[in-house]
Amino acid sequence: MSWRRIRLLIWKEFIEISRDRAMLPILIILPIIQLLLFGYVVGSSVKNINLEVLDQDHTVQSRLVTEAFTSSGYFRVAARPTSEKAMENDIDGNNAGAALIIPKGFGQLVGQRRPSQLSIIVDGSDSQTGQLASAYGAQIVQSVSSEFYGAGPIAPGSTPAVGINARTRVLFNPTLRAVNTMVPALLAFIILMSATNLMSQAIVKERERGTLEQLFVTPIGRTDYLVGKIAPYFLLGTMQVVVVFIVGVLWFQVPFSGSFLVIGVGLLLFMLCSLGVGMLLSLLSRTRQQAQQTSVFLQMPQMMLSGFMFPLAALPTWLYALTFVIPLRYIIVIVRSNFLKGSSFNSLWPQFTALAALSLVIFVFALSRFQKRLAD
Amino acid sequence: MSLFGNRKQAVPQAETLGDDAIVVSKLRKTFGDFVAVDSIDLTVKRGEIFGFLGPNGSGKTTTIRMLCGVIEPSGGTATVMGYDICKDPEKVRCNIGYMSQKFSLFQDLTVDENLRFYSGLYGLTAEKYAERRAYILKMADLEGRETELTKNLSVGWKQRLALGCATLHEPKLIFLDEPTSGVDPTARRQFWELLYDLANDGVALFVTTHYMDEATHCNRLAFIYRGDIIAAGTPQEVKAGLAKDTILRLDVDDGEGALAALQGNSAVAEAYMQGASLQVNIGHLSADEADLPAVLGSAGFLVHGVERVEPTLEDAFVHLVTEQGGRA
Repeated sequence: MSWRRIRLLIWKEFIEISRDRAMLPILIILPIIQLLLFGYVVGSSVKNINLEVLDQDHTVQSRLVTEAFTSSGYFRVAARPTSEKAMENDIDGNNAGAALIIPKGFGQLVGQRRPSQLSIIVDGSDSQTGQLASAYGAQIVQSVSSEFYGAGPIAPGSTPAVGINARTRVLFNPTLRAVNTMVPALLAFIILMSATNLMSQAIVKERERGTLEQLFVTPIGRTDYLVGKIAPYFLLGTMQVVVVFIVGVLWFQVPFSGSFLVIGVGLLLFMLCSLGVGMLLSLLSRTRQQAQQTSVFLQMPQMMLSGFMFPLAALPTWLYALTFVIPLRYIIVIVRSNFLKGSSFNSLWPQFTALAALSLVIFVFALSRFQKRLAD
Repeated sequence: MSLFGNRKQAVPQAETLGDDAIVVSKLRKTFGDFVAVDSIDLTVKRGEIFGFLGPNGSGKTTTIRMLCGVIEPSGGTATVMGYDICKDPEKVRCNIGYMSQKFSLFQDLTVDENLRFYSGLYGLTAEKYAERRAYILKMADLEGRETELTKNLSVGWKQRLALGCATLHEPKLIFLDEPTSGVDPTARRQFWELLYDLANDGVALFVTTHYMDEATHCNRLAFIYRGDIIAAGTPQEVKAGLAKDTILRLDVDDGEGALAALQGNSAVAEAYMQGASLQVNIGHLSADEADLPAVLGSAGFLVHGVERVEPTLEDAFVHLVTEQGGRA
C-alpha cells in the first residue's frame, strides 16, 4: 500500500467529481431537497403497537382494561414488566412503543365507583406512532370508562366527571414534532441516497472509459485503488451528514440529546454498508446508467421497509420479516433513539450487532467481487 | 502504396540489440472450460517492434493482460523485462508502458493533470517530471494545450497523449493494444513515426493491430488464432509460407456473386474479396489449369481480367485461418 498513490487517486477523483455534471446534483442538491421534503412529513395508520403493561393492581378490572387495549387491534402486549424501571428500559431499547400503567387500587376505586386513574406512556421519538398510540389509548380508556361506570346514576357525592382519568405522558419528544423524528433519520437516509449512488458510479465509470484497465497495468496495487476510490466518497458522505445535522439542529431546532460517539459509530457502520452496496452495484453493472438505475430501484423498498417513513408496526408479517435484512432499519432506530433519547450502546446493542454483521457481509462480498472482476 | 513510405529503413535491426524483453513459455489461460490462450511460446527482443495479430476473441488481449501482470496465467511461465509475471507482477508493471485502443486517459482531467497523475504513480522526481513533460508535450504536439480537458482533444491528440502517459517513466517495453484503431490515416502515420523513434532508442514494442500495412512494418510477427500461435516470424517468412501457391486477382462485375459461385470448386483453395476485386488462391495449379474465366463464365459471370499477384500478409493470414478451420 502506498500513501503517495492513494493521495494521487483521491486528488484525481475529486477533480473528476467536481467536473462531473451527473454527480454534482446528487452531491449538493439532493441533501437540500431531502431536508425540505422530509423535514415535514405525513402520518399514517398504525396497528399492533408494542405495548408494555405494568399491572400493579392484578384485579378483574385491571385485566379488563388490558383486554380492551389488545382487542382493539391497535396494541399488542409485548411484555409485562414488574417495575417502572424495567418498563423504561424496554422503551429505551425500542421493544415497546407505548406503556400502560395500572396503579394499585385501581380495581377498588372502580368497584366503589370513585374516580380512578391510568397512565399511558408513549415513546415520542417516533412521532407518528407516538401520536397514534396516545390517541388510540385515550379512546380505549374512554370506552372502558363508560363500561365500568355506565351512563347511569352517579354515586352520591361525586362530580359528573367521574370515571377513569387517563394521564397520557409522551416521553422524549413531548410535542411530537414530526421533524424531530425525520431529521435524525435523514442523517442515515442521506448516506443511503448519496454514498450508494455516487459509489455505484465510481468503478463502472472507470471501466467504461478504460481507465480501470489502464490503472492496473501501473504499479497501483488493488488496495491502493480501493482505498483511493472509497475515501473520497466516504469524505463526501460525511460532509453531507454534517450539513444535515447542522441544518437539522439550527434550522429545524431538533433537540440533540444523544452522543456523537454512539451516532458516529452507527453512521460509520452504515456508511461502510452503503459504500459496499454501491461498490457491488458498480462492479456488477456494465454501464453507469445501469448502476444508477439499480441504485434508485433499491432505494424505494429500503425507504418503505425501514421504518423511515412508515412505521414497521403497520406491516404484514411476511413483509416484516424482510425488514431484518435492511440495514437502514437498524441505523434509523439507532439515530432516532440516540438523537432524541440518548439511548446508549447498552440498549441499542441488537441494532449495532445487526448493522455491523450486515456491513461486514456486504463489504467482504464486494471485495471478493472486486478481486474476481479483475481476474477475468 | 504504403502509408509509411521510405521510413522502412529506419526500423532498427533487432539482432544488434541483444537481450530479450519478453520470454514466454507454454503460457496458458483458461476461463472455466474455455481455453483463451493455449500454451503459447514467444520471444520479443529489446528494441524490436513485435506484431501480435489475430482476429477478435483469439486471445490477444488475454495474453497482454497476463504479460502485464494483471491476470495470472493458468499454466506456463513468462518473463517480462527480466521479471517473472507470476512472482513479481509489481516489478513487471513498474517497467512497462501500456496503451490501449481506448486511450485510457482521464477524460475529465486536463492534459497537464493526466501527466501529473501518471508521473506521480511512477514516482518521478520533480526535475524528471519537468523534463519528461516538456518532451511529451513537444512529441505529442500539445504545447499550448496543457490546460485543455482531455475529452475535448481530437482522437489523434488523445492517442499521442496516451502514448506520452505510457512512456512518461521511460519504460523499455511498451504494450500497444490496437493503438491506431479509429484513427485517421494521417494520424496513424504520425503515430507510427513516434513508434519507430522509440524503437530506435532501444524500446521494445509489443503491438496488436488489425491493419496489415502496419503488420508489414513490424520486425517480427506472431499470428494467434483460437488461443494458438499458428504462424510466427518476420513478415517475409510468414508470406513465404504461401510462396508456392498461385494467387489470382479477378476483375469481375459481381464479385460477391462470383465468390459464391466458386464455393465448392475443387480447383479453388481459398477465395475472398480484396477491395472490389476477387482474390483466389488456386494452390499449386497454374492460371491456365484452373481456367477460372471459363468456370465463372459458365455460371454467368463475365471476367474482365485475371492477374497473378504476389501473396500479401493478408493472403497469408486468410490461408492460415482457412487451414485451421479445415482442421477443426
